[in-house]
Amino acid sequence: MRKRLIIVHTLWLFLLLSMTGYAQSVDQIIKKANHVAYYNGKDGRAKVQMLIKDSQGRSRKRSFTILRKNINTNADGEQKFYVYFNRPTDMQGTVFLVWKKMEGDDDRWMYFPALDLVKRIAGGDKRTSFVGSTFLYEDVSGRRLSADKHKLLKTTGDAYVVESVPVDKSGVKFSKYIAHVDKKSFIPLKIEYYNSKGKVYRIYENKKWEMVQGKPTVIISSMKDLDTGVETYNRYTDVEYDVNIDDSIFSERYLRKAPMELINY
Amino acid sequence: MQEKVIHFAINKPKAVVRLMILTAMIVLLGALLPSFFPNTFSAFHTIRVDTDPENMLPKDEPVRVFHDQMKELMNLHELIGVGIVNTTHEDGVYNVETLRKIYELAEFAKTLTWENEEGEQEGVIEVDIMAPSTTDNIEQESVGVVRFDWLMQTPPQNMEEVEALKKKVSRLTYIQGMMFSEDEKALAMTLPISSKDVSYHIYTKLREKIESLQGNGDAFHVAGLPVAEDVFGVEMFLQMAIAAPAAMLVIFLLMLAFFKRVVLVISPLIVALVSVIISMGLLVFTGNTIHIMSSMIPIFIMPIAVLDAVHILSDFFEVYQSKKDRREALVYVMNHLFTPMLYTSITTVIGFGALVLTPIPPVQVFGIFVAIGVAMAWLWTILFIPAYIMLLPGKTLENFGQKPASGDHRGWLDVFLSSVRKISFNHAKAVVASALVLIAISVWGIQQIVVNDNPTRWFEEDHPIRLADTEMNKHLAGTYDTYFALSPTNEQIDKDQVQQELIRSYPALDKSVFDVDPSLNGMDWLLNVESSLDDLLFESGDDVYDEALNTISDLKSDAAIFKNPEALKYLEQLQTQLSGLDVVGKTLSVMDLQKIVNREIYSGEDQHYVIPENKRVAGQHYVTFQGGHRPNDLWHFTTPTYDVANVWVLLNSGNNIDMEQVRSVTEQFMKDNPAPFGLEGKWYGLTYINLIWQDKMVFGMLNAFLSSFAIVLVIMFFLFRSFWWGLLSMLPLSLTIITIYGIIGIAGKEYDIPIAVLSSLSLGLAVDYAIHFLARSREIRKNQVSWEAASKIVFEEPAKAIVRNVFVVGFGFIPLLFSPLVPYQTVGFFIAAILISAGLVTILLLPALIKLLEKRLFKDVKN
Repeated sequence: MRKRLIIVHTLWLFLLLSMTGYAQSVDQIIKKANHVAYYNGKDGRAKVQMLIKDSQGRSRKRSFTILRKNINTNADGEQKFYVYFNRPTDMQGTVFLVWKKMEGDDDRWMYFPALDLVKRIAGGDKRTSFVGSTFLYEDVSGRRLSADKHKLLKTTGDAYVVESVPVDKSGVKFSKYIAHVDKKSFIPLKIEYYNSKGKVYRIYENKKWEMVQGKPTVIISSMKDLDTGVETYNRYTDVEYDVNIDDSIFSERYLRKAPMELINY
Repeated sequence: MQEKVIHFAINKPKAVVRLMILTAMIVLLGALLPSFFPNTFSAFHTIRVDTDPENMLPKDEPVRVFHDQMKELMNLHELIGVGIVNTTHEDGVYNVETLRKIYELAEFAKTLTWENEEGEQEGVIEVDIMAPSTTDNIEQESVGVVRFDWLMQTPPQNMEEVEALKKKVSRLTYIQGMMFSEDEKALAMTLPISSKDVSYHIYTKLREKIESLQGNGDAFHVAGLPVAEDVFGVEMFLQMAIAAPAAMLVIFLLMLAFFKRVVLVISPLIVALVSVIISMGLLVFTGNTIHIMSSMIPIFIMPIAVLDAVHILSDFFEVYQSKKDRREALVYVMNHLFTPMLYTSITTVIGFGALVLTPIPPVQVFGIFVAIGVAMAWLWTILFIPAYIMLLPGKTLENFGQKPASGDHRGWLDVFLSSVRKISFNHAKAVVASALVLIAISVWGIQQIVVNDNPTRWFEEDHPIRLADTEMNKHLAGTYDTYFALSPTNEQIDKDQVQQELIRSYPALDKSVFDVDPSLNGMDWLLNVESSLDDLLFESGDDVYDEALNTISDLKSDAAIFKNPEALKYLEQLQTQLSGLDVVGKTLSVMDLQKIVNREIYSGEDQHYVIPENKRVAGQHYVTFQGGHRPNDLWHFTTPTYDVANVWVLLNSGNNIDMEQVRSVTEQFMKDNPAPFGLEGKWYGLTYINLIWQDKMVFGMLNAFLSSFAIVLVIMFFLFRSFWWGLLSMLPLSLTIITIYGIIGIAGKEYDIPIAVLSSLSLGLAVDYAIHFLARSREIRKNQVSWEAASKIVFEEPAKAIVRNVFVVGFGFIPLLFSPLVPYQTVGFFIAAILISAGLVTILLLPALIKLLEKRLFKDVKN
């Protein structure tokens, strides 16, 4: 009798497991996608070439190194980011530091080398432009999963199509966004943001990705603002995971005294 | 030829009528069918309307080319201003209710976009709306903390929140005066629009919305040049539909009063209508647009068309009863009038035709098609009027016309004319002397003329557009935006030098990076090289590319003129100079943005509201500014390479003279203070374009007028085959023009387009009377012993025809005075003035001069 029960239970479990493997729940999809997009490894770094191209075809360029560390290595939670700018010349040495929180506002600092000033950026609105590009601060550090209600719209040949509707509509320009997540790697391939009129006004595209240290990693991505015609391209080189970046790097002290050995590698 | 034409009209009246109807129908169909059946008649032109004063200049005119280039470079659009003025609330516009309304209006404005047939987005450019709720704010929140936030993300709920907003506004200098008035009684949002021709639609929608927001003492206004211009276009068409027929009606009634027969007085109207149809039809058929100027063509053709017909009817009226046979009477009248009518028409055609000499396309089109209309009017007057009279049933004319004059039966016209004759004869010298005095006064008056135009003033003072203009410009900085662009005249990057330097510093560099289009300018060439290096770095990760990129980045930074404190200080000086002018409400440039960011980044204290100390700081401030919600706003003020500065100059008046003042002050400033970095300044913007075409128009018109005056003078010499008669015939015209413009100068009326075009109209109308009067006088004198004897006859037929003409045509245009559009009023008033003046000069001064010059003028006439 007990044996049979165990078998039945095992069968159930097996069935359950195989089903979830076959058809992921929407929460799992976005959790995995979020992990791939922001939490690969316990820490990581990359060099980024940013190209901002306006509707007239004029371009502006930024070049920076980004360091990231996950605080809680068991769960995708708090993180710290350190962004060091190499170019343009005027921005060289500018540092942007974020302590991403799960509750309350993130802590953000900016260091202006020409003024030798550290400024804390007041919390609240994270949907401002990241150094003049079409990426927002929120795109750089990630949006809390609980901020939106997610729904699996459909499954195509190689992607899950998930619709996310903001819980609190004030303060965001989009009424919803629809993400295409790669079925195998869970890397986001495309995200379309809809305005209040139900029209797409902003598109994220993962134009190229590779496995780096066994982790799906974006190599070229873009964000196009259809209202202004401005598009930003990010190209990532020298992506590394599990570098063992010391926690102390992500502090106000290192804003003025950048860890160049970690940045120029 | 004269005989043949007259006999054709009298003997084949039905053929004439058929011919006229056929011609009119063909032209009408040719013009209208393509509009109604665009697919069937796709090879032809549809009716195209163009109310854009910008088109007063050809598209390739340098100022327009530059305007379009800069608009594209700076991502600028024409602007509509929506304002709320509250003078009754104790807190002005800083109250919960008014702020909620401006929020609601801004939200509403965001919906005013649509896709056109080509799938392009039209209407309000949402991302560039400048309203409290769409404005970004950067502020020092507390020590060491900077906040980037919307100025008014949601409308304030209570007075505390209102006060907080007010405090923010007081620090955000670049919106002060523009969005919130300094007297706190007005606020405004600015809506950029995809093109000017959507303004009327947006204006209408906004006004509908505004209806639902009334109350609380809030007065709403919609202003801006695009609105004024587009609304004018729409109302202009209404006026065409009202004013022209109303003028027709009055002319009809006046003629009826003179000639008493409805059937008869209809004939000049038919001629006028046919002339208008043919000329407007041809205008549409030839693909010309109906413009502000061409919309006035009917109004100009009508009086001229009626003019000749009135001469015929008037003379026919005088002689019919004595001849009793219409054929005989018509032959008599037509033979007398044929030559004067031919010549008056030729002179009028020349007067308007000369407008092709102006450098303004719509004025050229206007001139050509009025000339065509006048020619048509002449043709159908000499053909159709006699034919029409011949076709009338016999009894219609039974009691028509003047009974042979008898001493005791004299109408008021006879009494009036006989006293005029007496004055001119008995006080000839006094008449001439008064004319000279009048000339002297007028010449002084002409010197007082102020050349100025302002599309907003095309509306009457109580028109909503005018009210909006007055109210918003009273409180806010200004609704007229012009721009002053400063850019370097010389190349900032020397391609060869840079290439050599890079090769020398980085021998390992792949030379293919220099495979760039050599025709590119230095900066674009450098940007291309940079992109190639970026690609190579991405692909290879080689450090040499990284280092070369740093060098290029340094070069770019060096070329970024408007990161230099020196360049920013120059802007500051220039803007201070401009802001000192009453007409300048506000100036805005990267200099202002730099100061705000500098203050908020440093301390939030006023001591840091200054231009940053060095280039690097300025460069960082630019990036900081872009860290808000609207990073692209920066590109309305400079370029991504920071070599151009676009200074916004808001004027509180659309007067061209005010723009001219701003322009000359700037020019003087730049002469006295040469700009650093070889910078050169150029104006653009609608207000500036208006100034340019006005300049061209004034001299173009003067040129056209002088040319046609000379041609007409030569024709007069030819017509009269006499120097003195020719000269005499130009007098009514000359005196009329001098007096009219003298009056304009003395009355302080400004010289604008309608006024300018009037000189041509005078040429058309005023010389007319002189020709009729002098030709007949000379002819009559041949059979009389003296001018005294001849003048008695002259003051019967020709003089009467002239006075009747003055009444019919002059007063016929009184309906135009009731138009809400000022140019129509101006034209109506001055047509009457021209006719009265020309008429008076003709019947008063000419006979007086003939008397004084009798021997010289009639030396070939045997007594």
